[in-house]
Amino acid sequence: MVYYLLICRSLTYAQRTAKALERVGITAIVTKVPQVISSDGCGYCVKVSAKHISNALVALKNAELYPIKVFVLYADGNYNEVTL
Amino acid sequence: MIYLDNAATTMIKPASVARNAAWAVGHLSSPGRGGYTAAMDASEIAFECREKVSKLFSVGDPESIVFTFNATHALNIAIKSLVRRGDKVLISGYEHNAVTRPLHAIGARVIVAASELFEPEMALLAFERRLSEDTALVICNHVSNVFGYILPVERIAAACREKHVPFILDASQSAGALDIDFAKLSADYICMPGHKGLYGPQGTGLLLCARRPEGILQGGTGSNSLSQDMPDMLPDRLEAGTHNMPGIAGLSAGLDYIAKKGLKNILSHERALVAEAADGLVKIEKVRVYKSEYEYCQAGVLSFVVDGVPCETVGEELSARGICVRAGLHCAPLAHKTAGTLPNGTVRMSVSSFNTKRDISALVSAVEEIVRRG
Repeated sequence: MVYYLLICRSLTYAQRTAKALERVGITAIVTKVPQVISSDGCGYCVKVSAKHISNALVALKNAELYPIKVFVLYADGNYNEVTL
Repeated sequence: MIYLDNAATTMIKPASVARNAAWAVGHLSSPGRGGYTAAMDASEIAFECREKVSKLFSVGDPESIVFTFNATHALNIAIKSLVRRGDKVLISGYEHNAVTRPLHAIGARVIVAASELFEPEMALLAFERRLSEDTALVICNHVSNVFGYILPVERIAAACREKHVPFILDASQSAGALDIDFAKLSADYICMPGHKGLYGPQGTGLLLCARRPEGILQGGTGSNSLSQDMPDMLPDRLEAGTHNMPGIAGLSAGLDYIAKKGLKNILSHERALVAEAADGLVKIEKVRVYKSEYEYCQAGVLSFVVDGVPCETVGEELSARGICVRAGLHCAPLAHKTAGTLPNGTVRMSVSSFNTKRDISALVSAVEEIVRRG
Protein backbone atom coordinates (compact mmCIF):
# COMPACT_ATOMS: atom_id res chain seq x y z
CA MET A 1 0.00 0.00 0.00
CA VAL A 2 1.28 3.46 -0.87
CA TYR A 3 0.92 6.36 1.56
CA TYR A 4 1.68 10.03 1.57
CA LEU A 5 3.34 11.74 4.51
CA LEU A 6 2.41 15.38 4.98
CA ILE A 7 5.23 16.92 7.02
CA CYS A 8 3.94 19.57 9.40
CA ARG A 9 5.68 22.45 11.14
CA SER A 10 4.62 21.22 14.60
CA LEU A 11 2.77 18.47 16.36
CA THR A 12 -0.21 20.76 16.97
CA TYR A 13 -0.26 21.72 13.30
CA ALA A 14 -0.20 18.02 12.38
CA GLN A 15 -3.12 17.44 14.72
CA ARG A 16 -5.06 20.30 13.15
CA THR A 17 -4.27 18.87 9.73
CA ALA A 18 -5.47 15.40 10.71
CA LYS A 19 -8.66 16.81 12.23
CA ALA A 20 -9.39 18.79 9.06
CA LEU A 21 -9.02 15.62 6.98
CA GLU A 22 -11.15 13.56 9.32
CA ARG A 23 -13.87 16.19 9.03
CA VAL A 24 -14.13 15.43 5.30
CA GLY A 25 -14.02 11.68 5.87
CA ILE A 26 -10.36 11.03 5.10
CA THR A 27 -8.51 8.78 7.52
CA ALA A 28 -5.39 10.58 8.68
CA ILE A 29 -2.87 9.42 11.25
CA VAL A 30 -0.50 11.71 13.11
CA THR A 31 2.88 10.06 13.39
CA LYS A 32 6.54 10.92 13.93
CA VAL A 33 8.52 11.87 10.85
CA PRO A 34 10.74 8.89 9.94
CA GLN A 35 14.37 9.71 10.68
CA VAL A 36 15.53 9.11 7.10
CA ILE A 37 13.45 12.01 5.81
CA SER A 38 13.66 14.24 8.86
CA SER A 39 15.76 17.29 8.11
CA ASP A 40 15.62 19.08 11.46
CA GLY A 41 15.54 16.43 14.14
CA CYS A 42 12.15 15.72 15.66
CA GLY A 43 8.93 16.34 13.83
CA TYR A 44 5.46 15.09 13.09
CA CYS A 45 3.57 14.32 9.94
CA VAL A 46 0.16 13.15 8.82
CA LYS A 47 -0.09 9.84 7.01
CA VAL A 48 -2.75 9.55 4.32
CA SER A 49 -3.51 6.73 1.93
CA ALA A 50 -2.47 7.42 -1.68
CA LYS A 51 -6.02 6.95 -2.89
CA HIS A 52 -7.13 9.97 -0.80
CA ILE A 53 -4.21 12.31 -1.43
CA SER A 54 -5.87 14.47 -4.11
CA ASN A 55 -8.98 15.05 -2.01
CA ALA A 56 -6.82 15.53 1.06
CA LEU A 57 -4.79 18.30 -0.55
CA VAL A 58 -7.93 20.06 -1.73
CA ALA A 59 -9.45 19.81 1.76
CA LEU A 60 -6.28 21.18 3.32
CA LYS A 61 -6.13 24.06 0.88
CA ASN A 62 -9.74 24.90 1.77
CA ALA A 63 -8.84 24.80 5.46
CA GLU A 64 -5.73 26.93 4.79
CA LEU A 65 -3.46 24.26 6.20
CA TYR A 66 -0.24 23.70 4.34
CA PRO A 67 2.30 20.90 4.91
CA ILE A 68 5.90 22.05 4.67
CA LYS A 69 6.86 18.98 2.62
CA VAL A 70 5.12 15.94 1.17
CA PHE A 71 6.71 12.51 0.80
CA VAL A 72 5.37 9.42 -0.85
CA LEU A 73 5.97 6.22 1.08
CA TYR A 74 6.14 3.21 -1.23
CA ALA A 75 5.15 -0.32 -0.31
CA ASP A 76 8.82 -1.33 -0.25
CA GLY A 77 9.54 1.24 2.49
CA ASN A 78 11.28 3.81 0.27
CA TYR A 79 10.43 7.52 0.37
CA ASN A 80 10.40 10.20 -2.26
CA GLU A 81 9.72 13.86 -1.81
CA VAL A 82 7.02 15.12 -4.13
CA THR A 83 6.55 18.64 -5.37
CA LEU A 84 3.01 19.90 -5.26
CA MET B 1 -15.61 22.94 55.61
CA ILE B 2 -17.18 25.77 53.64
CA TYR B 3 -14.87 26.90 50.89
CA LEU B 4 -15.27 30.54 49.87
CA ASP B 5 -11.80 31.26 48.49
CA ASN B 6 -12.46 30.42 44.87
CA ALA B 7 -10.75 33.59 43.64
CA ALA B 8 -7.50 31.96 44.81
CA THR B 9 -8.28 28.57 43.39
CA THR B 10 -11.46 26.55 42.99
CA MET B 11 -10.60 23.77 45.38
CA ILE B 12 -13.92 21.98 44.92
CA LYS B 13 -13.87 20.66 41.34
CA PRO B 14 -16.07 18.44 39.24
CA ALA B 15 -15.23 14.82 40.13
CA SER B 16 -14.12 14.18 36.55
CA VAL B 17 -11.19 16.59 37.01
CA ALA B 18 -9.50 14.46 39.67
CA ARG B 19 -10.39 11.30 37.75
CA ASN B 20 -8.77 12.57 34.56
CA ALA B 21 -5.70 13.87 36.38
CA ALA B 22 -5.21 10.57 38.23
CA TRP B 23 -5.67 8.58 35.03
CA ALA B 24 -3.10 10.76 33.27
CA VAL B 25 -0.47 9.95 35.91
CA GLY B 26 -0.47 6.28 35.00
CA HIS B 27 -1.34 6.43 31.33
CA LEU B 28 0.05 9.50 29.62
CA SER B 29 3.63 10.10 28.61
CA SER B 30 4.93 13.36 27.15
CA PRO B 31 3.27 14.89 24.07
CA GLY B 32 5.57 15.41 21.13
CA ARG B 33 8.21 13.14 22.54
CA GLY B 34 7.49 9.86 20.84
CA GLY B 35 5.36 7.91 18.42
CA TYR B 36 4.30 5.22 20.89
CA THR B 37 0.77 5.01 22.24
CA ALA B 38 1.22 6.73 25.61
CA ALA B 39 2.98 9.71 23.96
CA MET B 40 0.45 9.97 21.14
CA ASP B 41 -2.41 9.68 23.64
CA ALA B 42 -0.87 12.56 25.59
CA SER B 43 -0.65 14.56 22.36
CA GLU B 44 -4.29 13.84 21.66
CA ILE B 45 -5.42 14.88 25.16
CA ALA B 46 -3.41 18.11 24.92
CA PHE B 47 -4.85 18.89 21.50
CA GLU B 48 -8.41 18.15 22.64
CA CYS B 49 -7.89 20.53 25.54
CA ARG B 50 -6.63 23.23 23.16
CA GLU B 51 -9.69 22.72 20.98
CA LYS B 52 -12.01 23.14 23.95
CA VAL B 53 -10.22 26.34 24.94
CA SER B 54 -10.42 27.50 21.34
CA LYS B 55 -14.19 26.96 21.33
CA LEU B 56 -14.82 28.60 24.70
CA PHE B 57 -12.82 31.74 23.88
CA SER B 58 -13.31 31.89 20.09
CA VAL B 59 -9.59 31.61 19.44
CA GLY B 60 -9.86 30.06 16.00
CA ASP B 61 -6.42 28.56 15.82
CA PRO B 62 -5.54 26.02 18.56
CA GLU B 63 -1.85 26.71 17.93
CA SER B 64 -2.31 30.14 19.49
CA ILE B 65 -3.21 28.52 22.80
CA VAL B 66 -0.24 27.97 25.07
CA PHE B 67 -0.25 25.92 28.25
CA THR B 68 1.37 27.71 31.15
CA PHE B 69 1.78 26.92 34.84
CA ASN B 70 -0.70 29.59 35.94
CA ALA B 71 -1.91 33.08 35.00
CA THR B 72 1.21 34.70 36.49
CA HIS B 73 3.38 32.66 34.15
CA ALA B 74 1.21 33.67 31.19
CA LEU B 75 1.30 37.34 32.22
CA ASN B 76 5.09 37.25 32.58
CA ILE B 77 5.46 35.92 29.04
CA ALA B 78 3.04 38.46 27.60
CA ILE B 79 4.47 41.43 29.49
CA LYS B 80 8.11 40.54 28.86
CA SER B 81 7.37 40.13 25.15
CA LEU B 82 6.05 43.66 24.85
CA VAL B 83 7.72 45.85 27.44
CA ARG B 84 11.26 47.19 27.68
CA ARG B 85 12.84 49.36 30.37
CA GLY B 86 11.41 52.86 30.38
CA ASP B 87 8.35 51.99 28.30
CA LYS B 88 5.11 53.69 29.25
CA VAL B 89 2.58 51.09 30.36
CA LEU B 90 -0.96 51.98 31.27
CA ILE B 91 -2.76 49.76 33.76
CA SER B 92 -6.04 49.86 35.66
CA GLY B 93 -6.15 50.73 39.32
CA TYR B 94 -7.18 47.19 40.14
CA GLU B 95 -4.22 45.16 38.92
CA HIS B 96 -2.70 42.24 40.77
CA ASN B 97 0.97 41.92 41.68
CA ALA B 98 1.19 39.39 38.83
CA VAL B 99 1.04 42.46 36.58
CA THR B 100 2.72 45.14 38.66
CA ARG B 101 5.72 43.13 39.82
CA PRO B 102 6.92 42.10 36.34
CA LEU B 103 6.50 45.72 35.22
CA HIS B 104 8.50 46.90 38.22
CA ALA B 105 11.22 44.33 37.54
CA ILE B 106 11.53 45.47 33.92
CA GLY B 107 11.68 49.12 34.95
CA ALA B 108 8.61 50.18 33.00
CA ARG B 109 7.10 53.61 33.46
CA VAL B 110 3.77 52.57 34.92
CA ILE B 111 0.81 54.92 34.62
CA VAL B 112 -2.23 53.94 36.64
CA ALA B 113 -5.61 54.75 35.12
CA ALA B 114 -7.19 54.94 38.56
CA SER B 115 -10.93 55.31 38.90
CA GLU B 116 -13.57 54.68 41.53
CA LEU B 117 -14.80 51.25 42.38
CA PHE B 118 -17.79 49.98 40.39
CA GLU B 119 -17.70 52.96 38.02
CA PRO B 120 -17.00 51.46 34.58
CA GLU B 121 -17.68 54.71 32.72
CA MET B 122 -15.07 56.45 34.86
CA ALA B 123 -12.66 53.57 34.27
CA LEU B 124 -13.01 53.96 30.52
CA LEU B 125 -12.52 57.69 30.77
CA ALA B 126 -9.42 57.20 32.94
CA PHE B 127 -7.88 55.00 30.25
CA GLU B 128 -8.90 57.24 27.36
CA ARG B 129 -7.41 60.31 29.05
CA ARG B 130 -4.04 58.66 29.58
CA LEU B 131 -3.81 56.64 26.39
CA SER B 132 -1.46 58.15 23.84
CA GLU B 133 0.62 57.20 20.84
CA ASP B 134 3.67 56.67 23.06
CA THR B 135 1.87 54.13 25.28
CA ALA B 136 3.74 50.86 24.78
CA LEU B 137 1.08 48.67 26.31
CA VAL B 138 -2.22 48.62 28.17
CA ILE B 139 -2.96 45.90 30.72
CA CYS B 140 -6.32 45.52 32.37
CA ASN B 141 -7.87 42.86 34.48
CA HIS B 142 -11.35 41.79 33.55
CA VAL B 143 -12.54 41.28 37.11
CA SER B 144 -10.83 42.61 40.22
CA ASN B 145 -9.66 39.74 42.40
CA VAL B 146 -10.42 41.87 45.47
CA PHE B 147 -13.80 43.38 44.70
CA GLY B 148 -15.23 41.34 41.84
CA TYR B 149 -15.54 44.60 39.91
CA ILE B 150 -16.01 43.97 36.19
CA LEU B 151 -14.01 46.49 34.18
CA PRO B 152 -15.23 47.61 30.74
CA VAL B 153 -12.47 45.72 28.96
CA GLU B 154 -14.19 45.51 25.58
CA ARG B 155 -14.32 49.30 25.37
CA ILE B 156 -10.81 49.72 26.76
CA ALA B 157 -9.55 47.24 24.15
CA ALA B 158 -11.37 49.20 21.43
CA ALA B 159 -9.71 52.42 22.60
CA CYS B 160 -6.34 50.66 22.39
CA ARG B 161 -7.07 49.44 18.87
CA GLU B 162 -7.89 52.97 17.79
CA LYS B 163 -4.48 54.17 19.00
CA HIS B 164 -2.66 51.04 17.80
CA VAL B 165 -1.57 50.24 21.35
CA PRO B 166 -1.14 46.58 22.32
CA PHE B 167 -3.56 45.24 24.93
CA ILE B 168 -3.21 42.42 27.45
CA LEU B 169 -6.27 41.11 29.26
CA ASP B 170 -5.83 39.47 32.64
CA ALA B 171 -8.80 37.10 32.73
CA SER B 172 -7.82 35.45 36.00
CA GLN B 173 -11.18 36.02 37.66
CA SER B 174 -13.40 36.03 34.61
CA ALA B 175 -12.44 32.94 32.60
CA GLY B 176 -15.19 30.40 33.13
CA ALA B 177 -17.78 32.94 34.25
CA LEU B 178 -17.85 35.83 31.78
CA ASP B 179 -18.04 35.63 28.03
CA ILE B 180 -14.62 36.32 26.49
CA ASP B 181 -14.33 36.44 22.72
CA PHE B 182 -10.65 36.54 21.78
CA ALA B 183 -11.37 37.34 18.14
CA LYS B 184 -13.79 40.18 18.89
CA LEU B 185 -11.74 41.65 21.70
CA SER B 186 -8.63 41.85 19.49
CA ALA B 187 -6.37 41.59 22.53
CA ASP B 188 -2.73 40.85 21.85
CA TYR B 189 -2.69 38.37 24.71
CA ILE B 190 -5.21 36.98 27.14
CA CYS B 191 -3.83 35.39 30.29
CA MET B 192 -5.73 33.14 32.64
CA PRO B 193 -5.33 30.39 35.19
CA GLY B 194 -6.67 26.94 34.51
CA HIS B 195 -7.27 26.25 38.19
CA LYS B 196 -9.85 28.91 39.04
CA GLY B 197 -13.03 29.36 37.01
CA LEU B 198 -12.00 26.73 34.49
CA TYR B 199 -11.89 24.12 37.29
CA GLY B 200 -8.61 22.56 36.22
CA PRO B 201 -5.97 21.40 38.69
CA GLN B 202 -3.43 23.80 40.17
CA GLY B 203 -0.36 24.18 38.01
CA THR B 204 -2.40 24.97 34.90
CA GLY B 205 -2.75 28.23 33.06
CA LEU B 206 -3.37 29.50 29.54
CA LEU B 207 -1.94 32.16 27.30
CA LEU B 208 -3.95 33.08 24.21
CA CYS B 209 -1.69 34.73 21.66
CA ALA B 210 -2.48 37.04 18.78
CA ARG B 211 1.19 37.65 18.10
CA ARG B 212 4.48 35.79 18.45
CA PRO B 213 5.75 36.16 22.00
CA GLU B 214 9.24 35.88 23.40
CA GLY B 215 9.65 32.83 25.57
CA ILE B 216 10.98 33.10 29.08
CA LEU B 217 12.02 29.43 29.08
CA GLN B 218 14.22 27.68 26.59
CA GLY B 219 14.56 23.92 26.25
CA GLY B 220 13.31 20.82 24.53
CA THR B 221 10.07 21.00 22.58
CA GLY B 222 10.09 17.75 20.63
CA SER B 223 10.41 19.77 17.43
CA ASN B 224 13.27 21.24 15.34
CA SER B 225 15.68 19.52 17.72
CA LEU B 226 18.79 20.13 15.61
CA SER B 227 18.46 23.87 16.05
CA GLN B 228 19.66 25.62 19.20
CA ASP B 229 17.07 28.34 18.68
CA MET B 230 13.58 27.87 20.03
CA PRO B 231 11.07 27.09 17.28
CA ASP B 232 9.30 30.08 15.77
CA MET B 233 5.91 28.46 15.78
CA LEU B 234 3.40 28.32 18.57
CA PRO B 235 2.72 26.61 20.86
CA ASP B 236 6.16 24.96 20.76
CA ARG B 237 7.96 28.28 21.13
CA LEU B 238 6.56 28.72 24.62
CA GLU B 239 6.16 25.16 25.80
CA ALA B 240 9.72 24.12 26.61
CA GLY B 241 10.06 21.08 28.80
CA THR B 242 7.64 18.39 29.81
CA HIS B 243 3.97 19.28 29.86
CA ASN B 244 1.82 19.05 32.96
CA MET B 245 -0.28 16.25 31.50
CA PRO B 246 -2.24 15.45 34.68
CA GLY B 247 -3.07 19.15 34.86
CA ILE B 248 -4.04 19.38 31.21
CA ALA B 249 -6.17 16.23 31.38
CA GLY B 250 -7.91 17.63 34.45
CA LEU B 251 -8.35 21.03 32.82
CA SER B 252 -9.97 19.33 29.87
CA ALA B 253 -12.58 17.85 32.22
CA GLY B 254 -13.08 21.28 33.81
CA LEU B 255 -13.76 22.76 30.38
CA ASP B 256 -16.32 20.02 29.71
CA TYR B 257 -18.05 20.92 32.96
CA ILE B 258 -18.25 24.60 31.95
CA ALA B 259 -19.53 23.74 28.48
CA LYS B 260 -22.26 21.60 30.00
CA LYS B 261 -23.22 24.02 32.74
CA GLY B 262 -23.03 27.16 30.59
CA LEU B 263 -21.29 30.44 31.37
CA LYS B 264 -24.56 32.30 31.89
CA ASN B 265 -25.79 29.80 34.46
CA ILE B 266 -22.49 29.84 36.31
CA LEU B 267 -22.40 33.63 36.42
CA SER B 268 -26.02 34.03 37.51
CA HIS B 269 -25.53 31.43 40.26
CA GLU B 270 -22.43 33.21 41.53
CA ARG B 271 -24.09 36.61 41.36
CA ALA B 272 -27.10 35.36 43.30
CA LEU B 273 -24.81 34.07 46.04
CA VAL B 274 -22.84 37.31 46.18
CA ALA B 275 -26.08 39.30 46.38
CA GLU B 276 -27.33 37.09 49.19
CA ALA B 277 -24.06 37.44 51.07
CA ALA B 278 -24.09 41.21 50.64
CA ASP B 279 -27.71 41.44 51.79
CA GLY B 280 -26.93 39.41 54.89
CA LEU B 281 -23.63 41.06 55.78
CA VAL B 282 -24.79 44.63 55.31
CA LYS B 283 -27.42 44.14 58.02
CA ILE B 284 -24.73 43.36 60.59
CA GLU B 285 -23.60 46.28 62.69
CA LYS B 286 -20.04 47.45 61.97
CA VAL B 287 -19.83 45.50 58.71
CA ARG B 288 -19.11 47.42 55.53
CA VAL B 289 -19.69 45.60 52.27
CA TYR B 290 -18.20 46.46 48.87
CA LYS B 291 -21.14 45.65 46.63
CA SER B 292 -22.04 47.33 43.37
CA GLU B 293 -25.61 48.54 43.09
CA TYR B 294 -25.55 47.31 39.50
CA GLU B 295 -25.40 43.57 38.93
CA TYR B 296 -23.49 43.91 35.66
CA CYS B 297 -20.57 45.52 37.51
CA GLN B 298 -19.72 42.60 39.79
CA ALA B 299 -18.89 38.92 39.45
CA GLY B 300 -18.50 36.22 42.11
CA VAL B 301 -16.22 38.07 44.52
CA LEU B 302 -17.26 40.16 47.51
CA SER B 303 -15.10 42.11 49.95
CA PHE B 304 -16.14 43.33 53.36
CA VAL B 305 -14.60 44.75 56.51
CA VAL B 306 -15.66 44.69 60.13
CA ASP B 307 -14.95 48.03 61.76
CA GLY B 308 -12.72 47.62 64.78
CA VAL B 309 -11.74 44.03 63.96
CA PRO B 310 -8.62 43.45 61.85
CA CYS B 311 -9.30 41.58 58.62
CA GLU B 312 -6.83 38.86 59.52
CA THR B 313 -8.66 38.29 62.80
CA VAL B 314 -11.97 37.94 60.97
CA GLY B 315 -10.31 35.47 58.60
CA GLU B 316 -8.90 33.46 61.49
CA GLU B 317 -12.22 33.46 63.33
CA LEU B 318 -14.00 32.25 60.22
CA SER B 319 -11.34 29.60 59.69
CA ALA B 320 -11.91 28.38 63.26
CA ARG B 321 -15.56 27.89 62.27
CA GLY B 322 -14.60 25.94 59.15
CA ILE B 323 -15.16 28.77 56.70
CA CYS B 324 -12.35 29.49 54.24
CA VAL B 325 -12.03 33.10 53.08
CA ARG B 326 -9.04 35.28 52.37
CA ALA B 327 -8.14 38.33 54.41
CA GLY B 328 -5.63 41.12 53.81
CA LEU B 329 -4.38 42.56 50.55
CA HIS B 330 -4.94 39.57 48.25
CA CYS B 331 -1.65 40.28 46.40
CA ALA B 332 -3.28 43.41 45.00
CA PRO B 333 -2.15 46.44 47.02
CA LEU B 334 -2.88 48.68 44.04
CA ALA B 335 -6.55 47.68 44.10
CA HIS B 336 -6.74 48.54 47.79
CA LYS B 337 -4.97 51.83 47.21
CA THR B 338 -7.46 52.70 44.47
CA ALA B 339 -10.48 51.69 46.52
CA GLY B 340 -9.19 53.26 49.72
CA THR B 341 -8.87 50.03 51.69
CA LEU B 342 -5.15 50.29 52.44
CA PRO B 343 -3.39 49.45 54.71
CA ASN B 344 -5.71 46.92 56.33
CA GLY B 345 -7.26 45.38 53.23
CA THR B 346 -10.50 43.48 53.29
CA VAL B 347 -12.01 40.10 53.99
CA ARG B 348 -12.82 38.47 50.68
CA MET B 349 -15.34 35.77 49.98
CA SER B 350 -15.43 34.34 46.49
CA VAL B 351 -17.84 31.74 45.21
CA SER B 352 -17.88 29.07 42.55
CA SER B 353 -20.46 26.95 40.86
CA PHE B 354 -20.23 24.52 43.78
CA ASN B 355 -21.25 26.93 46.55
CA THR B 356 -24.78 26.99 47.88
CA LYS B 357 -27.08 29.36 49.74
CA ARG B 358 -26.37 27.30 52.83
CA ASP B 359 -22.67 28.27 52.58
CA ILE B 360 -23.66 31.92 52.45
CA SER B 361 -26.01 31.61 55.44
CA ALA B 362 -23.20 29.99 57.41
CA LEU B 363 -20.83 32.82 56.53
CA VAL B 364 -23.32 35.52 57.50
CA SER B 365 -24.14 33.78 60.79
CA ALA B 366 -20.46 33.36 61.59
CA VAL B 367 -19.70 37.03 60.91
CA GLU B 368 -22.66 37.99 63.09
CA GLU B 369 -21.23 35.91 65.90
CA ILE B 370 -17.74 37.36 65.47
CA VAL B 371 -19.11 40.91 65.64
CA ARG B 372 -21.32 40.08 68.64
CA ARG B 373 -18.39 38.67 70.58
CA GLY B 374 -16.24 41.64 69.58
